[in-house]
Amino acid sequence: MSDETGRTIFLDGEEVPFDIGETIFQVAERYRKDIPTLCYDDRLEAFGGCRLCVVEIEGARTPVASCTTMAEPGMRITTKSGSLEMHRRVLLEMVVSENREVDVDELSGYASQEMKNLVDRYSARTGRFAGDKSGVSRPDDPNPFILRDYENCISCYRCVRVCAEQEGDYAISIMNRGFETQITTEFGGLLKDSSCTFCGQCIQTCPTGALGDLKALRHVEVEEPIEKTRSVCTYCGVGCALDIMTKGDQVVGIQPAMDGPANEGALCVKGQFAFDFVHHPDRLKTPFIRDDHGQLVPATWDQALDKAAAGLLEAVNEHGRHSLYAIASGRAPNEAGFTMQKFVRAGLGTSYIDNCSRA
Amino acid sequence: MTPTNDELIAEAMTEEAPLLPLLHRIHERDGYLSEEALRSVSKGLRIPIADLFGTITFYHHFARDPGGFEAPRVCTGPICCLKGAHDLVAQLDGATGMPCSGRCDEPIPVIRGSQTFVGLSASQLTLGDTPVPPAKVGDYEECVFANIRSSDRKTIEGYRQTGGYEGLEKAVTSMSPQELTEMIDQSGLAGRGGAGFPTGRKWKAVADAKGGPKTVVCNADEGEPGCFKDRALMDHDPHAVLEGMALACYATGSPRAFLYLRYEYPETEHLLVNAISEAEAAGVIGDDVFGTGIKIKIYLRRGAGAYICGEETSLLNSLEGSHPFPRNRPPYPVTHGYEGTPTAVNNVETLASVPPIVLRGPDWYRNLGLGNHSGTKVISLSGDVARPGNYEVPIGLPLSTLIDEWAGGVPNNRSVQAVTMAGLSGGFLAGDDLDVTLDEPSIRAKGSFLGAGGIMVFDDSRDMVEISHMAMEFFAEESCGKCFPCRIGTQRLTERLAGKAGPEDLEQWLDEVSDLNKTMKETSACGLGQAAPLITESLLKYFPQAVQTHVIGE
Ligand SMILES: Cc1cc2nc3c(=O)[nH]c(=O)nc-3n(C[C@H](O)[C@H](O)[C@H](O)COP(=O)(O)O)c2cc1C
Ligand code: SF4
Ligand code: SF4
Ligand code: SF4
Ligand code: FES
Repeated sequence: MSDETGRTIFLDGEEVPFDIGETIFQVAERYRKDIPTLCYDDRLEAFGGCRLCVVEIEGARTPVASCTTMAEPGMRITTKSGSLEMHRRVLLEMVVSENREVDVDELSGYASQEMKNLVDRYSARTGRFAGDKSGVSRPDDPNPFILRDYENCISCYRCVRVCAEQEGDYAISIMNRGFETQITTEFGGLLKDSSCTFCGQCIQTCPTGALGDLKALRHVEVEEPIEKTRSVCTYCGVGCALDIMTKGDQVVGIQPAMDGPANEGALCVKGQFAFDFVHHPDRLKTPFIRDDHGQLVPATWDQALDKAAAGLLEAVNEHGRHSLYAIASGRAPNEAGFTMQKFVRAGLGTSYIDNCSRA
Repeated sequence: MTPTNDELIAEAMTEEAPLLPLLHRIHERDGYLSEEALRSVSKGLRIPIADLFGTITFYHHFARDPGGFEAPRVCTGPICCLKGAHDLVAQLDGATGMPCSGRCDEPIPVIRGSQTFVGLSASQLTLGDTPVPPAKVGDYEECVFANIRSSDRKTIEGYRQTGGYEGLEKAVTSMSPQELTEMIDQSGLAGRGGAGFPTGRKWKAVADAKGGPKTVVCNADEGEPGCFKDRALMDHDPHAVLEGMALACYATGSPRAFLYLRYEYPETEHLLVNAISEAEAAGVIGDDVFGTGIKIKIYLRRGAGAYICGEETSLLNSLEGSHPFPRNRPPYPVTHGYEGTPTAVNNVETLASVPPIVLRGPDWYRNLGLGNHSGTKVISLSGDVARPGNYEVPIGLPLSTLIDEWAGGVPNNRSVQAVTMAGLSGGFLAGDDLDVTLDEPSIRAKGSFLGAGGIMVFDDSRDMVEISHMAMEFFAEESCGKCFPCRIGTQRLTERLAGKAGPEDLEQWLDEVSDLNKTMKETSACGLGQAAPLITESLLKYFPQAVQTHVIGE
């Protein structure tokens, strides 16, 4: 963003500085130009498919895609004009015409409202360009996590690209060409037979809800509004930030936090989908202590801690400090892991401490 | 003995650009690409299986069911359709259609395995043979066709009888690469593959670019409907193409060149393989070109059926074995081409023009054109003319001279209703605009372009809406699917031209079609989507009455 270099472009008449390697879109975004996009996800390499981000460059024969065009000194760029807005609306009318529906539930996924919002912003529900619909849905895929509703797919390939570029899984790809284009796994099979890890990244980047979060969608009928609470995944020490979606008292789903410092929008299958334990009837809600008959009975924390301390002391006294071995949970954050080893080393006096992700 | 998957893969791994040749060997060996074979290829070449599967399905000709390789494919391009191609599909067992396969000057072509047959009905099919360009008519001197009609031209001895490979020898022994590039620049030679970029400037850009090894690619994909000139050049003058490639290598400092040949020219592949080994044996290409120590290796690679693979960046992706979407430009291939190296992609005709220029000088070539136009252009002329075929015209020749005097005019006492330009990509010219000279500025002034030089002629009995429909259907089938305006737009225009969808009200119909035209032209990511709407645009411009009848009836 340094302008000591004198490197500037003109954005809608205003001279603004830019960095080498920045695209026109990135500069424009910094200046809050609100250029519409559908194939763009700032974590992925710019693709240039949707063409909504076109801008005019003085002297260029036709508009260019701002997401794939590098800013160059002296460029004079128009981000909004009658003809650009006309193209954007026509492009949106086109994608509306190929899909079964525009409105999908917010529970579908993080980006699921992108297309709908743009369609409304550009009043593109005109019914123009009617014709064949594209995409074949896969209701035959019995996996419990990912809805594969390609009748709502607009072939932006964000799913394919996130799977390859972010996850390195290469589970899905693009089959056929043109209007027949179809998102597929190897040989058109089920996700479970592919290299998919069910991380859900493809769901969260899909701008139409063609890929949907099946677990969250179980709660569509619950009347209450969705509330999002920022939290940290409890499964491992990475500490992925996520938003817990609730309706009333009910956890209905998880979405990755795109601004999570450790994960930048990534999650794995556990953080993404394994939250059913929260409301599970078997879930322990208090400590238990085994009574003299070997039966587990509910107890308070003080009782439980006293009991545990006594047991540990007894073991040390009878068998020596090295008779104990502690394993810190991989689900514990670094701070808890640190406290654990402190307790074991200073409190119990042994160095027999390890972590489950190593043990 | 039939080689196993593992043997074929081991062999491929020692080669440049191994994926396509490996797939072709398996395709021919098994008659299709089985799941098992593809899994081995995925492992061997370390390509994720989902990607490999997706990429295979992109190409028209890779069969995924047993026997598919041998199943007949009948050309259902616009000209062949007028000759009854759909009847022929119905007559032949297991036959399917394929886009224009570059033989519009012959009866309907049918490809079976590695052989091409031609005929108008199932009982008449005979092995196809590329017609020699018709005898020269006018007084104008030719460049690439000057010696092509002599009989043993295909052999290296025949080629050398009229100065073949002397241009290359002269260049590598007595000229610097800069001098060669300068000479080509001065000749005014510009790309003959469609975009018309000055060849000398392209070579200079590659020579000046950082990084290497540099690469030359001869674009022999010739997928544009109504274009069959590159096939004539390769089939009758293969060494001229190889010599042009070698000269491009010398000028740009490239030790290697690829010739990317379209799938639909199986016989040409064998011919070129022979020509390359002849030339290597003669020491004119290979590890020690004319004893100078210069190395120029030429590799032949074959596509698998995709018009977009003629677009240079899609071609490069195809060569590299990845999904053949066009790349975003800039950067251009001259700096970031094959495997990221500076690459000169040139059309067959462009390259075949180079040896005569080197021998006879840039002024000679420049003066071949009429008025202030430089050089010549091969026009593939087809459709309703007495003598369809490839004609090398001086740039600037009137269209009417070509059609009426050279090609014998329109048969059956009919007259020209419309012609296409640039194969199909330039849309139609009709009415007063038929009074035009064959040069880029004149044709562009009429909203079209000369491009690769395919011209289809339609007489006054033809249904222009139906022809537009066939044209748009081609673009829809060949749209790669990368960008929205082309992927959806070609489909919507096809449906409207077929009368299958679209408003019943004329004004609304016209609004929809012209909005699609505009947005496709201005926002599509590559030349396919930008050019396809020229069909509908020119249809609306020249034939509003026919459009009205199509939409609301008489
Ligand atoms: C859709 C599309 C198809 C193309 N097909 C071909 C082709 O078959 N052969 C060819 O030489 N150029 C083709 N081109 C042009 C190439 O991109 C490129 O400009 C050309 O090969 C450069 O060679 P030249 O400068 O010698 O013409 C095509 C372009 C587009 C946009
Ligand atoms: S869930 Fe993850 S691994 Fe599976 S297809 Fe989606 S992005 Fe790829
Ligand atoms: S499924 Fe969603 S993310 Fe994937 S291509 Fe279709 S619309 Fe884009
Ligand atoms: S214009 Fe058509 S062929 Fe070109 S990139 Fe877009 S979809 Fe592909
Ligand atoms: S955001 Fe640039 S083309 Fe889609």
